Amino acid sequence: MPDIAVADFVVIGSGIIGSTVARKLAQAGASVLILEAGPRVTRAEIVARFRNSPRRSDWMSPYPPAPWAPHPIYQPQSNNYLVQAGPYPYEAEYVRQVGGTTWHWAAHAWRNVPNDFRIKSLYNVGVDWPLEYDDLEPYYQEAEVLMGVSGAPNTGSPRKKPFPMEPVAEPFAMRRIRERLASAYEVVTNTTARNSRTYDGRPACCGNNSCQPICPIDAQYHGGLAAHAAEAAGARLIPDANVYRLDHDEQGRISAALYYDPDKISHRVTGKTFIVAANGIESPRLLLLSASDKFPRGLANSSDMVGRNLMDHPSTSLTFDADEDLWLGRGPQSPSSIGVMRDGSFRAEHAPYRLDFTNISRVVSATSALIDQGVYGDEFARRLRYSAARELNVKNVLEILPDPNHRITLSDQKDAMGIPKPQAHYSINDYTKKGHERSQQDFRRIAELLGGSNLRFSKDGAYANNQHICGTLSMGSDPKASVCDQWARAHDHENLYLAGTGVLPTCGTCNSTENGMAVALRTVHHILFEHKASDAPASPRAG
Amino acid sequence: MTVMSFNAGLKGLLLSAIVLAAGAWSTARADSANNPDAALIERGRYLANAGDCVACHTEPGGKLMAGGLAVATPIGPIISTNITPSKADGIGDYSVEEFSAALRRGIRRDGQGLYPAMPYTSYAKITDEDVAALYAYFMQIVPSVDHKPTETALPFPFNIRFSMRVWNWLFLDAKPYTNDPAQSAEWNRGAYLTLGLAHCGACHTPRNILMAEQNSRLLAGADLGTWFAPNITSDRNSGVGLWSVEDLIHYMRDGHAHGKAQAAGPMAEAIDNSLRHMREGDLRAIASFIKTVPAIHDNADAKPAFEWGAAGGDLNAIRGVAVPTNRDQWGGEQLYNAYCATCHQAEGQGSFDGGLPSLFHNTTLGRTNTSNLVMVILDGVHREPDVDMPGFAHELTDSQIGTLANFIIRQFGNPSGSVTARQVDALRAGGESGMWMVWIARLLIVAVVLSVVGIAVTLILRGRRAERGTV
Repeated sequence: MPDIAVADFVVIGSGIIGSTVARKLAQAGASVLILEAGPRVTRAEIVARFRNSPRRSDWMSPYPPAPWAPHPIYQPQSNNYLVQAGPYPYEAEYVRQVGGTTWHWAAHAWRNVPNDFRIKSLYNVGVDWPLEYDDLEPYYQEAEVLMGVSGAPNTGSPRKKPFPMEPVAEPFAMRRIRERLASAYEVVTNTTARNSRTYDGRPACCGNNSCQPICPIDAQYHGGLAAHAAEAAGARLIPDANVYRLDHDEQGRISAALYYDPDKISHRVTGKTFIVAANGIESPRLLLLSASDKFPRGLANSSDMVGRNLMDHPSTSLTFDADEDLWLGRGPQSPSSIGVMRDGSFRAEHAPYRLDFTNISRVVSATSALIDQGVYGDEFARRLRYSAARELNVKNVLEILPDPNHRITLSDQKDAMGIPKPQAHYSINDYTKKGHERSQQDFRRIAELLGGSNLRFSKDGAYANNQHICGTLSMGSDPKASVCDQWARAHDHENLYLAGTGVLPTCGTCNSTENGMAVALRTVHHILFEHKASDAPASPRAG
Repeated sequence: MTVMSFNAGLKGLLLSAIVLAAGAWSTARADSANNPDAALIERGRYLANAGDCVACHTEPGGKLMAGGLAVATPIGPIISTNITPSKADGIGDYSVEEFSAALRRGIRRDGQGLYPAMPYTSYAKITDEDVAALYAYFMQIVPSVDHKPTETALPFPFNIRFSMRVWNWLFLDAKPYTNDPAQSAEWNRGAYLTLGLAHCGACHTPRNILMAEQNSRLLAGADLGTWFAPNITSDRNSGVGLWSVEDLIHYMRDGHAHGKAQAAGPMAEAIDNSLRHMREGDLRAIASFIKTVPAIHDNADAKPAFEWGAAGGDLNAIRGVAVPTNRDQWGGEQLYNAYCATCHQAEGQGSFDGGLPSLFHNTTLGRTNTSNLVMVILDGVHREPDVDMPGFAHELTDSQIGTLANFIIRQFGNPSGSVTARQVDALRAGGESGMWMVWIARLLIVAVVLSVVGIAVTLILRGRRAERGTV
């Protein structure tokens, strides 16, 4: 095995969270090595592929998987990388390349609401977190400053310091929605990592409306920027390094990471501390792949909880035509939402949810729909104009509860490198379905207030996925029921930390990235300043 | 020696913030009824801003006027001094006469010469009254900072500051500006500011081999090593003869003249720190004067730099064409599509209000000197309050920048311009080294010494012959 590299910290995964952890550790003076399975890709290549793609609405089309580090693809046909064990398909999308999946996001950077941390105590559902909102508050703030986050002040997540900037200007359609719903709902500006002004050397959003699949000007923060910042801070990043196994010593301490390069030559990297930050599917997969005689169920898995409690945010939606021209598509794709159903005593009975208004231009979807109906010529032009101006869509973002039967396991099938593929076991339970049912009255009321016609509810029983992969590395106080402690350190291995949204024990009603970031920043602080000195570099300095 | 290396953007932003903060504070102090010098101080504050003292004398994030900024010159960094009223490390012990000598003649209190990175040949034009106002502002308003920046250490022979006396004797006109009675008050005010405090010539006037501004080519344009300060004489094609006074005012105040040009690099800094804070009347005066500066024409300039180009291009031709894996093999259209078209649009037209500038009718692409085009692609454009074109130095290779630049020149600019990868490499590295000047100076000294020795030997030999009575 050639190329034995050594570092204080070995971070597996260069996504927004892994890279941020690496950056902070490197700033503190530690030697840090990041291993990224996928290739280095520039924004320009992604922009070029997006503009060249005949499938503009397929946000994965600019992200073809690398043969040596595949990720799931569903269009035009599935590559069957994430094997579906059912009963309900879990068609998660993620990106394996330097910077990870946030190359491709709507930049929602929400904090949980305080009660999200205590749903077992308060509502007797799910689990409580091993930490509370106040424990995370300073780290939320830190994440928001790093990412350049803005939002409305009144979203139920109290803050001690202001956002680092004002929100991006409210698009006209969102203003009209807010005004026309005011009697019944407070429509708030979303909390997003998107520049409303020059920030951190990046320009303000100029309304390309292609946040997904790619912001062409870096007005929104993403993992590519985080990886760049980590390297600038002194971390060494090795792309195309697909880690397939972690080794341990006699004491159960992690001793090495083994990775394949694209030619399937194996390399070995040793370090003092290992941080697995390879997302909510690839991280548990790696722990399971690392089973040994001493740890036959895989690493960090004496509880048998690795890969279990898989959660995301299922969504159902309503599309309708408003009674005035609104012209979705100006400004960012996802600017506004309604948060009144994010928390309340009803959580004992059914899922809470956020109601989210899309601002994605309707031109592509309306065009496809009209062509499918066989509409052509003047009629096509007239109806396209009408739909592009009038069509609105509101969706719910439903909480799903942790359920050990929802899980990622290793498939019998192998990927191109001969490594077992991940396999998803998933379903939509009654708690979530009841939340969906409750939201239908909101959908109807919203349509009514906007003079809606031609109401089209999403297909009964069909839940869209939101790619907020949580729970598979859950943190908790009880080592028998969780994978890691409140510092995201594996219960079973002194020098193994987990970073990413997989450690979140419940998923709440908001996008998982900022919660994962805040937990990871708290982990870094713990490693540098609180944990025993052997883990930390000789003289940590705050970065 | 006033070639400056600027990290535009953050620095400019910080400096402007400092200027504004200091301005607000000084205004508050100066307005206080108890201070008999209030009006004088306020005038001094305004003039210090017009002179852009902070540009060199304040480090990014550093204390106002406390110095320490390394100004890159071809012969090495010149480190700006502390000009706060600190008695230990600043100019606290300077009398108004000593202040004046430093400002207008480049002579420090200890009698040593300043390097002309300090534009004292321009400041020499400042009137006695304005020197008094500046003195009052610096002594009474600028907070004292006890901190001594590192000493400048240039290579021999430039480390001998006495040489500056000789230089001054050759090149310094120490006479303050006197009004030309044949011209209007506005014109005279413009000349006073342009030639004096605003020291426009420091960048825009070409220099001779000893780095002195060539008065015969006032504002005729100069290469600053990386950025290029264009000809701003009244010539119609080579200069700004076809710019209106309003165009020039917009440019100096907003950094942008619609359909013509936008400021970047050091000019953006000068605007951020100084010009945009000046009274409109003064900007108008400068513009009026500049419009009368004797035209200096370059025959290569077939038409004004801002007139070149038109909307165009066919990005549809590359739709559906996969981009090459090797990024150095991307075509110009592909690079333009991926890096530029999002803001500058498919046909280079920019945004409707010029906030995102068009690439045609844009001086950066209208000149045969393409340094500024390359510098903009490398470093971006950063201007207050909110102009921030990103730089691509970290993403694009020299070869890619060459391909991209040549494509946009051909598509939107003056086709006589071109860019090579080698040029990009040199500009990326901060410009060609000026160490040749050090060697020329040393050779000159050797030549002078040799001729002095030669003359001495000749005289001695003659003397001996005379003694022997052989003449």
